[in-house]
Amino acid sequence: MTINQDTMEQLRAETDYAGLGLGWLDPGTEWGVRAQAGRKGLTLDEINRNPYGEVPEFTINFTARPRGAKARPEAPRLGNRLRSKSEVWASTIAMLYEEAQQRQWSSARDIPWNELTQLPDDLELAMCQLCTFLTQVEFIAGDLPGRYVKEISADHMEVGLFIATQIMDEARHEDVFRKRALANGGGLLQAGPGAVGLLQVSDFAEMTTLLHLVAEGFVQSLFRMGELIANNDAEKKIFRLAAQDESRHVAFGVTHMKYLIETEPERREEIHHYLDRQEGLLGTTQAGLTSGGQSAESLAILLGGGTAKIDLGYQKLLAIRKRQINEYMHRLEVIGLGDRRERMNPDMRQFLDPVRN
Amino acid sequence: MTTDSQRQDSDLAPDAAAPADLSPAERPARPPHDFPWMRVPTQRSMRPVVGPQGLRLEDVDVDSYGDVPDHWPYRNDTPRGAFPSQNIGLAASYSIFDKVEVWSENVRVLYEDAIRDRWSSATDVPWETLKPYPEHLERAICQICTEMSEQAYVTVQVFSGWLEKISYGFHEVKNFLATLIYDNARHVEAFRKRALANGGGLGIESPGIYHRGPAASMVFTELVITTCIVRASFNMITVDTLKRTAKSEAERVLYSNIARDLQRHIDYGVGHLTYFVQRQPQLLGQLHAWLSRAEGLLVADQRFDQPFNEAMILLLGKNTEEGRANYEDVRRQWVAYYLNRLADARIYDHMTRLVPELKHYLPEGAAMPNSVSMRPPVEDPALT
Repeated sequence: MTINQDTMEQLRAETDYAGLGLGWLDPGTEWGVRAQAGRKGLTLDEINRNPYGEVPEFTINFTARPRGAKARPEAPRLGNRLRSKSEVWASTIAMLYEEAQQRQWSSARDIPWNELTQLPDDLELAMCQLCTFLTQVEFIAGDLPGRYVKEISADHMEVGLFIATQIMDEARHEDVFRKRALANGGGLLQAGPGAVGLLQVSDFAEMTTLLHLVAEGFVQSLFRMGELIANNDAEKKIFRLAAQDESRHVAFGVTHMKYLIETEPERREEIHHYLDRQEGLLGTTQAGLTSGGQSAESLAILLGGGTAKIDLGYQKLLAIRKRQINEYMHRLEVIGLGDRRERMNPDMRQFLDPVRN
Repeated sequence: MTTDSQRQDSDLAPDAAAPADLSPAERPARPPHDFPWMRVPTQRSMRPVVGPQGLRLEDVDVDSYGDVPDHWPYRNDTPRGAFPSQNIGLAASYSIFDKVEVWSENVRVLYEDAIRDRWSSATDVPWETLKPYPEHLERAICQICTEMSEQAYVTVQVFSGWLEKISYGFHEVKNFLATLIYDNARHVEAFRKRALANGGGLGIESPGIYHRGPAASMVFTELVITTCIVRASFNMITVDTLKRTAKSEAERVLYSNIARDLQRHIDYGVGHLTYFVQRQPQLLGQLHAWLSRAEGLLVADQRFDQPFNEAMILLLGKNTEEGRANYEDVRRQWVAYYLNRLADARIYDHMTRLVPELKHYLPEGAAMPNSVSMRPPVEDPALT
């Protein structure tokens, strides 16, 4: 809608604003938008109920121009390379962003640290070892998606904004597990091989497959079993809040991959390839969170209730492993890769529940 | 999530190696439990006290865990204070291993403050209190919000890409930068929401000249200067202007929250420059060069940004003359604010190196401070 011509005439003709060009007052963009706050406030979904919410399938916006703003032909490009909506988009993206905003928490104030109890040495050290591992790997889950934000066009800005929330979440996870290790007389213990290998990806879909679908999914399953691992209310709350964050990250991965496979079905085999690679690592070495070296030992001690009951702990660990793999399979079914059941690495497939009829 | 290649079964948990339904004869031999990781020589027995603001980074990062080395020696994701793995695995993509490149002494406090001060544009701004403006003023506000949203997105993009360059030894910096990225993401949508909530719409994109500052920074300190010192300080003044001219509680809350975020970003910038200058006084000339480049980009961007300039003039005056004069005051205020922040960082002698377009905002005949104890000859604007 153009500016009211009376207003324009008045601004120009009367001497009040003489000397100004004022052409920008009529940029030709959509005007008269009056987004209203809904039940959840003024969310991205609420402001997207108009032409400003129309996300192009294929963007030619290579500058930082906000979606719906008027372009300047002379504006320099910034290196945005992900042009296709399908490469980055998720149907839930605006909702996930706002949910992340609502569910931010503070490791300093929202964990009842005074509830930490004096633990037997084996349990304290096991928790510290697990936290050493977690604090080690959490930053990678922020650094890696962060790499791609500069390639996401402002036309698809909701994805960039969501990744910013993930970066925040992962920093807080690094922080909270470090605090737990240092808060109760233990300390950080043995660093492991970590998650640096995850950084060796080249494509956004590859990143999402490895990070959100597999790695974050496995971590989410573990955190959701936090009641079994935790020794007190402080630890239970850490796992509960961290699981809540991971659920959003996994939800992004699932809905993005679903969108990608629906819109670009020719990429199915490519996604299988990434899964082959990641499952190969997980399957042949069992080097996942629940079964790698000191991480597995510490988990088994925590699950069993001490070093003397580590065998019981390993049985519980197997149950977690089974849950991780079944939840992983469920995610694959949701995104349209149900045929993965037959293609899955046998070392993992053995943990799958039978298909329900 | 472990991904390095290891000998098959080398890290198998004894029972995890085989499904539970295998017979005992088929199970691998169980190695003795020794738990060497329980005996690594890291510091124990700390008992941090939970303070009135909870358990903050500065409470736990003490003793050996709080010791941030000048040079971080590990190329992988070993946490500071943990016992490093004896097996050499993959090196990560880090390229920043020297503390002086990223550090600021206030970074722990700023991280915790950022989390304490978190807010949501969806629910913490009383949008229902927005009041209508005359059309030309609504368009002016929308134009400014369009550009502020755009700038914030560039900041999100650029800083997100730098995270993987900063090694784990400086985890507090990575923590703080996560809040900076997150804050700017909120600014992207908060300014956009303001533009789309009051009968307006988006305006014209910025000339984009300044984006080259952060986007093409080759050194992290240069990025901090372009973003946290020059851009953030100018935005602070702009947001203060918007707040002063606001007609509704919604806008006042919105701009106050954004200003509080910007203040932390500026504080980090000042803290980082302070540390940089103290440790590398021989590189002061380099800092001046980075500052001058950023100033030049800002001046060029504004020179070509007729929509932004005229929007400010409309907002600040009942006529062109008054608007221009008040806008000049805003710019003068920014130069004063900027020089005072540099003085906070012990860069007291930048005044004579200001680009000419900014130098003319200084009082005529102003004497340049000649020591760190002298303040700039321009009053520090009191911004809240």
